[in-house]
Amino acid sequence: MMARLFTYLRDHSQVLKWLFYVFLALAIAFDFFAERHQPHFWGDGIVGFWSMFGILGCLGMIILCKGLSHVWLMKDEDYYDK
Amino acid sequence: MINNSIFIHPATYFILGAVLLPFLKRFKLLQKIIMIIIPLLAFYQINYLPDTFGVCEYMGFKLIFGKVDKLTYVFLHVFTLMAVIGNVYGLHVKETGQRMAGLLYVAGSLGVTLAGDYLTLFIFWELMAFASVFLVWYRKKKQSIQAGYRYLLVHTAGGLILLGGIFLRYQNIHDLSFTQIAVNGATFADYLIMIGFMLNAAVPPIHAWLPDAYPEATVTGAVFMCAFTTKTAVYVLARAFPGFEALAILGAIMTLYGVGYAVIENDARRILAYHIVSQVGYMVCGIGIGTAMAINGTCAHAYAHILYKALLFMGAGAVLEMTGRSKLSELGGLYKYMPLTLIFTVIGGISISGFPFTSGFISKSMIIAAAGEHHRLGLMIMMTLAAVGTFLSVGIKLPYFIWFGKDSGVKAQDPPWNMLLGMFIAGFMCFFLGVYPEYLYRMLPYDVAYHPYTMYHLSETLQILGFTGLGFYFMVKYLKPEAHANLDVDWFYRKGALVFMWLASKPIGIANEWVGNVYKTVGLRFTMAVAKALSWFDWEGIDWVIDGSARGVVNGGDQMRGFQTGKVQHYIGGAVVVLSIVLIVVVLL
Repeated sequence: MMARLFTYLRDHSQVLKWLFYVFLALAIAFDFFAERHQPHFWGDGIVGFWSMFGILGCLGMIILCKGLSHVWLMKDEDYYDK
Repeated sequence: MINNSIFIHPATYFILGAVLLPFLKRFKLLQKIIMIIIPLLAFYQINYLPDTFGVCEYMGFKLIFGKVDKLTYVFLHVFTLMAVIGNVYGLHVKETGQRMAGLLYVAGSLGVTLAGDYLTLFIFWELMAFASVFLVWYRKKKQSIQAGYRYLLVHTAGGLILLGGIFLRYQNIHDLSFTQIAVNGATFADYLIMIGFMLNAAVPPIHAWLPDAYPEATVTGAVFMCAFTTKTAVYVLARAFPGFEALAILGAIMTLYGVGYAVIENDARRILAYHIVSQVGYMVCGIGIGTAMAINGTCAHAYAHILYKALLFMGAGAVLEMTGRSKLSELGGLYKYMPLTLIFTVIGGISISGFPFTSGFISKSMIIAAAGEHHRLGLMIMMTLAAVGTFLSVGIKLPYFIWFGKDSGVKAQDPPWNMLLGMFIAGFMCFFLGVYPEYLYRMLPYDVAYHPYTMYHLSETLQILGFTGLGFYFMVKYLKPEAHANLDVDWFYRKGALVFMWLASKPIGIANEWVGNVYKTVGLRFTMAVAKALSWFDWEGIDWVIDGSARGVVNGGDQMRGFQTGKVQHYIGGAVVVLSIVLIVVVLL
């Protein structure tokens, strides 16, 4: 039963994608109304700050980590056995 | 009277159980019942512990086996709960030895948590290391045996540093009681102790044992290991070293270090292992900040983390158990075959990422907020960035490439009922704590004034998680898992050992051979002459005296040989059992 549900959702990934975009828009809209009781720093005052933080942090981390892996850290799986 | 009974100490049940199990090898059902009863008994027992118990004098040292306050209680609570979950999950395990190792490991962890002095702490500390290595060895693969030896060597080194610190401390102040160390009064001895603790908390650069050994452990073993070693270390750090700036900075670095590797690693359980480093980083940072709110956050996060990280290890372990694979590059498309495991793993994933109504939302945020209120902007930003990476690597990447992604053609089914039940209990707790945080907050060492469910916290979390998800969606093709290993600082001792082996075999070997040749030509003749003279003396003078006893020695040697299997594992196992028995005897007398 669960498997069929997942298959159904997978077949309708376009709908899911649009639902996801709506969710993102709502998350930013919600930020306009969220009260800021104790701002810890300047970023807390900017609407949508954490959206930018999330997307830039995510992209930056992928680029940096994957980059470091490819130019330096990545070795064959039997590296230590050689 | 009751204060002197050893049955007041919850570790006693686990040790007795471990001693009892081998006699019940033929009664599998009885073994299973014991495996469930013992942790349940301990889970109940910890509510009735007196403030101090098990105080005894031993060779002039005052040993305190039990010292209980709120900080102790919250850790005991989650450790015994985790032992219940872990034993349910591992109910199908066939090897008695693996069950024993699990029980002794938990006993060590409870013993450390309750210890009131450094000697007791050290004994249980080593019990933990030596019991847990069997959870790696019982995987019985070549890599596991090797990783187990490395694990043991690193922990022995850490244990020696800790012991050195304890000795120096005793020399300095003639006091071994395990209490808070003032930031201004810390000496070299205290820093040695701290390094010993930090090694078990996997603080970089002495963390590499963790992602090296945990992915090589047995399916059940990894579930136990992910819960106890690091969190026991968090407990002792929180007890002795709150407010040390070094911990705050190293903790924040840890959060990013671990998550960075989790983004690039390929093996599911290695991703989770690196992610332990990241999560323990929050706790270490909280200890370093040291305010009441930060310590509360550390305890809350340890509690929540044990449950959802165990859940994740159970999910990845179930996939390994059922398919024999744990590398993301060899998995994919399992949603049709293991849907329940998928659901439980995703529950662990969203909890660790801090979704609203899960345990991560009410625990991790407490430490970040404590950093904010203490005006530690840098720490706060680093930890929030690590939260982004957490959702990216464990929340999305891991389940996506195991259950969706490309179809690997692997066919499997959901694991047996006991594994599912273990996952269900952990998953239930993740939501329970998220919806009803007061249950956890009541147990914390200080009064809690923190409210997780504010408009702004919700808004911040939804934005961060949502847009991290968007980032994954954009970059998914660059995140494709690759069948490669990544270097870490264990390079130094793994390649260093090869250099040592080369030195031993080449230059030293050559020198040895040369000395051998000299000896053969010069020394041997001399030795032969001396031997001839001695043999005459032996024959004429001594033999008739010694003959009788010599025969005895030979016989004894034969019997001894029967015990010796030549496997270091057996020797260490024997030593652990003997140590446990000695412990019981010492306490009893």
